Amino acid sequence: MKPLIASAVFGVIMMFAALSVKEKKTFTLLATLLLVLLTGVNIYELMHIMNGEIPEALFNGMLKYGSFSIWFNTLMTGIALLYVLLCGKHIEKVGQHTGEYYGLIFFILCGANLLSGYNNLLILFLGIEIISIPQYILAGSDKRNLKSSEASLKYFLMGAFSTGILLMGIALLYGAMHTFDVSQFNFMEHNVDAMSLGGIFFIMVALGFKVSAAPMHFWTPDVYDGAPTPFTAIMATIVKAAIFVAFLRLFSETFGGISQHWTLVLSIVTALTLFVGNITAVFQQSVKRMLAYSSIAQAGFMLFAVLAVNATGFKGIIIYAVAYSVATIGMFAVLMKLKDYTYDGFNGLGRKHPLLAFTATIFLLSLAGIPLTGGFFAKYFVLTAVMEQGTGMMWLVIFALLMAAISAYYYFKVLMAMYFKKGEPELAIEVTTGDRFFLGLAAAAIIVIGVAPDILLAWLKN
Amino acid sequence: MPVAVQLLIAIGFVAIMMIASHLLGPKRRTSDKLINFESGIPSIGNARQPMAVKYFLVAILFVLFDVEVIFFYPYAVNFRALGTEGFYAVLMFVAFFFCGFFYIIKKGALKWED
Repeated sequence: MKPLIASAVFGVIMMFAALSVKEKKTFTLLATLLLVLLTGVNIYELMHIMNGEIPEALFNGMLKYGSFSIWFNTLMTGIALLYVLLCGKHIEKVGQHTGEYYGLIFFILCGANLLSGYNNLLILFLGIEIISIPQYILAGSDKRNLKSSEASLKYFLMGAFSTGILLMGIALLYGAMHTFDVSQFNFMEHNVDAMSLGGIFFIMVALGFKVSAAPMHFWTPDVYDGAPTPFTAIMATIVKAAIFVAFLRLFSETFGGISQHWTLVLSIVTALTLFVGNITAVFQQSVKRMLAYSSIAQAGFMLFAVLAVNATGFKGIIIYAVAYSVATIGMFAVLMKLKDYTYDGFNGLGRKHPLLAFTATIFLLSLAGIPLTGGFFAKYFVLTAVMEQGTGMMWLVIFALLMAAISAYYYFKVLMAMYFKKGEPELAIEVTTGDRFFLGLAAAAIIVIGVAPDILLAWLKN
Repeated sequence: MPVAVQLLIAIGFVAIMMIASHLLGPKRRTSDKLINFESGIPSIGNARQPMAVKYFLVAILFVLFDVEVIFFYPYAVNFRALGTEGFYAVLMFVAFFFCGFFYIIKKGALKWED
């Protein structure tokens, strides 16, 4: 519970700092400090669990943290720290309210915390709202930019609509189960009737919308493209990973017993997501938009963890969340350094800024799932998780491998531009030693996960 | 089944009434009928004018604090049953809200003159 309170209080502290502090750099410094503190609080909590302390249910059983949720939170705060270190300068440049932006990022982490520890559908709803509302604001934070405003409005309207669908699903499940407490859900006792199946379906649609699974993905490219780039980076990574954890926990733990009723629908959604994300990404001209579609495609792979309904799925989502988030944040950090967001903007980067190009290469290889990078084991784990459930999903796994091969094409297009095309890439912002260091750190993290993925799993009990 | 019948009757009744009034009622088309009715006063200009964002801010802040007050009603009803723990919970809720209030005042959201 301490990390939850800390994240909310830190958000308020950032908000109040915005009242008195004028210098924008101070906000980044303060946010970095508070994020270090928050990661520390998470690790402290994790140590307690590791020492054999049994976590108690909080707030009348509404929240329940296990080693999985606390470890996931630790990773997410760590990634948020990396994000601020890499993108802090760019966040300062978005608008006048830097302090508030950081405050909103803390509130996003608060929502992610709730999503990883919920034990009650009301908290699930609350978590999704707390994580979504800051995003609507962040998407529109570049007020003078028409595209940013469009992104914010579009996201807000569609997000509000999907929240309504989520509520509808929760209400139907309450009608069928007579409780919001997911640990008391018993599908054996109550017959699986139209009401509970309808509820599950509605929740699947709403969560699918939030993680941008096809055919609920239409908002994604416009919102990710229109939102200021530093905020696209957090929307595509930490937020998506957190909602996936909620998705996974709900469908594996709570609805896992009646998986025969929903796997077919979810596998079709997965196949569609993979197909739409990868095929459309091929035709993009702008790298930022390509990354938006790539995040749809990657969501398709993460859906495999949900489909698996077993312990390997939980391991898979941890590795996938970290490998994908670090690679995507790194790639966005490189992208933000450039003036031109099209593929041509990358021309000749390999010669002019070798370190930028090299780290970008590692991030892209990881996103494509090449061995020796984190992305390979991420894909490996989620696909084996599904394979463990028998051969019924074989067609989907083969389809996913095919799509991964297609994804290599558009990731490699950036590599081609960087190393094999001549050009004078213009930088929008100077690359400092700190940037180099943290980009290198992110790339190193990806290689380490790619060589020894078990270090991410050592903290999980059972 | 009875619900479906009732639904059908309801829809049918509305449809029949609308068609009947359309067919039976007298029709006199004048240009005055197409003008917005504003208590008999001739309307001036278009209603879609840019408005100061201040109005919007006040409205949205009103909603916020209105919701805060609404939360007190269930608390007041269960005041005794919730005991000290409930009191602290509400105190924390108010404290958080007070933070927000302090913030908007300091930000100048309620300042009317620039």
